[in-house]
Amino acid sequence: MAANPKEIPVPNIEELFRPTHDERARQSMVSMIRKHAIIDLRRALKSDYDNRIEPKLEREGRKPEDWAAIEKSMEREQSYRFYSSVRYNAQEMCYLSVQPAVERALPEMIDLASDLAKRNPAGGSLRLNPNLDLPKYITSLDVHLAPGWVHAEYTADDVAQGAVVGFGGKVFSGQHPYRKKPGAVAESISYWLKKKFPDFKPRRILDMGTTTGKNLLPYCTAYPQAEAYGIDVGAPVLRYGHAIAEHEGIPVHFSQQNAEATDFPDGHFDLIVSSFFFHEVSVKATKKILKECNRLLAPGGVMVHMELPDEATVSAYDNFFWNWDTLNNNEPWYTSYRAQDPVALCLEAGFEPGKAFKLHVPDILTFGEERHAQFMRGEIESPAHGSGGWFVFGATKR
Amino acid sequence: MTTSNEVRLPRHTKGKRPSFFEDPSLDQMMTFLLELTTEVAVLRERQDTVERLLDSHGSVTRAAIEAYQPSAAIEQERAAWRDAYLKRVLRMHSPD
Repeated sequence: MAANPKEIPVPNIEELFRPTHDERARQSMVSMIRKHAIIDLRRALKSDYDNRIEPKLEREGRKPEDWAAIEKSMEREQSYRFYSSVRYNAQEMCYLSVQPAVERALPEMIDLASDLAKRNPAGGSLRLNPNLDLPKYITSLDVHLAPGWVHAEYTADDVAQGAVVGFGGKVFSGQHPYRKKPGAVAESISYWLKKKFPDFKPRRILDMGTTTGKNLLPYCTAYPQAEAYGIDVGAPVLRYGHAIAEHEGIPVHFSQQNAEATDFPDGHFDLIVSSFFFHEVSVKATKKILKECNRLLAPGGVMVHMELPDEATVSAYDNFFWNWDTLNNNEPWYTSYRAQDPVALCLEAGFEPGKAFKLHVPDILTFGEERHAQFMRGEIESPAHGSGGWFVFGATKR
Repeated sequence: MTTSNEVRLPRHTKGKRPSFFEDPSLDQMMTFLLELTTEVAVLRERQDTVERLLDSHGSVTRAAIEAYQPSAAIEQERAAWRDAYLKRVLRMHSPD
C-alpha cells in the first residue's frame, strides 16, 4: 500500500545551505556593516546635514529646496561619501558572503526542488514558462547589486538565485531592527487587513513579484481558507519558493508570469498583494500592472501593495534619502516611480474614486497589539516607512 | 549546459558602478578595507570559538570548530562585539 505522501516529512531546502564556521562569521559581520550603514551612518548623515550643511547654506542664501538640491549639496561631503561607500559595499557583500555555500549545496537543492515540483506533497504547484520574454527592466542590470538577480539560470532546473536572494536577504536584514523576520511586511499588512475588514474572507490570493514567496506565506496563514497564487518572471526563485512552501505545508500555486498580462480569468482574486515590487519595474509597466490588477480583482475584493512612500508623502530630506538607491543600488525606476501619486495611479487604472487609499501601517512585530488597537482607533500614528511602519497603497472594489 | 556541481555564480554585478570619491581608487580602497575588516572579524570569531571550546572541553579539533553552534546569549555577546569593533574601525573625523 502506498504511504500517504502527506505523512512523509518534507525536507527543508534551506537546511541544505551549510556555510562553514568562517562563512557564518563573515555573514554575521556583513549584517553588522549593513546595519552600521543604514542605521548609524544614516543618522550621522542627517545630523551633519541638519547641524552643519543646511545652516551653512542658509547663511549663504542657498538653502536647498528639494531632494535633488540636497543631493547636490551633499555629494562632496565626507559624511555622504563614506555613508554611500559603506552602504554600497555592504550590499554587494550580502550576496558574496552566501554564494560559495549556495554553490556547494546546489546539486542537492536542485534534486529536492525538482522532486517536490513533481510530488507537491502540500498540494501546491509550480508552472514554469520557458518561453516567457523577460522584461528589459529585469535583465539590463542586476537589481539590488545581486549578480543574476531573480532570473539568471546557470544549469538545468536551477534554484541558485532563489537561495542567493533568500540567504543574501537574510544577511541584509540580519541586524535591521524592523526586518529581522522574513515576511514581517506580510504579517503586518495581513494583521491590519483583519482589523480593517473583519468580515473579509478572500477565496483566492495573488502575490505579484513574489520571488521566493516569503511575503506571501503570512497571508496564507492569516486566510487559511484561501487558495494562494504567486507569480514572478524569475524561474529559479519560483522553484526555490515552491520547495519552501511545500516544506512549510502551505499549498501555493507558483507560476512564471509577467504581472503586466497574466493568464488568470477576470475577477479571479479577492485579495491582490505585492511587497517591494512596483519600484523595480518601469512606470509604463506599473500602469499596465495596476490595470491588470483591476481586471483580476473580484467585486468585494481588496488590493494592497507595500511600497516606498511617494515623493509627496515625505520631506525633501527623506526623498533625498530614499532616492539614493536609484543610481547606487541598481534600481533605475525608483525615483520616477516615487514621483507618482499611487492613489492617482489606481484611479488611472480604473479603480473607483473614493476606493483607493495610501497610508502607513505599523510593523506588528515591533509595535505590539495594544498600540495597534490605538492606531486603528485613530489615537496614534504609525511609525514611518522603514522605521517601524510600512507604507501601503491600494483600492477596494464594490 | 553546466552541470549543477560545476556552477560558479558570477561575483560581479551588471550595471554601472557609481564612484563616491573624486579618485575612483578610493572607491576600490574602501572595498579592500571593508573586506579586510570582515576577515579580521572572521579570525576573531574563530579565536573566540577556540577559546570557548578549550574552556568547556579542554581540547579543540577542526571538526569541533566547524560543529560549534553558539547559544543565543553567546551570539548576542558576539553581535555586541562586532558592533563595537566596527564603530572603532570606522571612526569618522569630526565634521568641519
